[in-house]
Amino acid sequence: MTVYMRAGEIAKKPVVTLAGDDIGQVKDIVFDSSTGDIRCFTLAGRGLLSGPLHRALLWRNVHALGPHAVMVRDESALEEDDSAATPGEDERAGVNVLGVAVTTRSGTQLGRVTDAVVATGRKPAVAGYEVETAERERVLLPVAGPITVSGERILVSDATAQHSAGNLGGFGSAVEGLRHRPVHDPQED
Amino acid sequence: MEWWTWLIIALAIFAAVTVSIAALQARRRSGGVIAQGRRPRGGGGPES
Repeated sequence: MTVYMRAGEIAKKPVVTLAGDDIGQVKDIVFDSSTGDIRCFTLAGRGLLSGPLHRALLWRNVHALGPHAVMVRDESALEEDDSAATPGEDERAGVNVLGVAVTTRSGTQLGRVTDAVVATGRKPAVAGYEVETAERERVLLPVAGPITVSGERILVSDATAQHSAGNLGGFGSAVEGLRHRPVHDPQED
Repeated sequence: MEWWTWLIIALAIFAAVTVSIAALQARRRSGGVIAQGRRPRGGGGPES
């Protein structure tokens, strides 16, 4: 069963080894915009005065993602640097999607991203976004397939607006509705 | 100036520096949701 959670719930979670050592906290969640798959986390130190750790935590090295902590086997689960969180040669610079406008391919602006929704499980992925609409209402929009992300906007299919959810409880149905919608326009896929 | 004037000035400077450091530190530690991937095809126009 897929469990959905807001990315904001994962950020700032402590990263704890199975021995109980607190070795950092989640700072950024880095995902692949073409597949939605979570690639890694960047980390910050745990002290009040500590800054970024400059060490990435790849998802494959995460032992468990619990409600209160991200568990890893030991400190060797962390990469030596944060190069895993930096774009490859054929990739553009990473874009923080928080605050970015969500627009349909036909040009309707749906709102601005306030959070991302992550489908947890064996292969966690960004499954949608929480957006604040022009009416200051927050809705959850599922995404299906590759999306276009630039520094200014996220382009989603026109059908996305018809499959929104008000809370995480209804988000699974919204995702299923979007995935199994009848397709009329080849541009939608 | 009276001694207490200097005290108020010193406290004000201390408060301003403390707030600035706290804000800077919060900014350094704040995270995001970062999208990475290949450049968008067709410059963001309709895709086929």
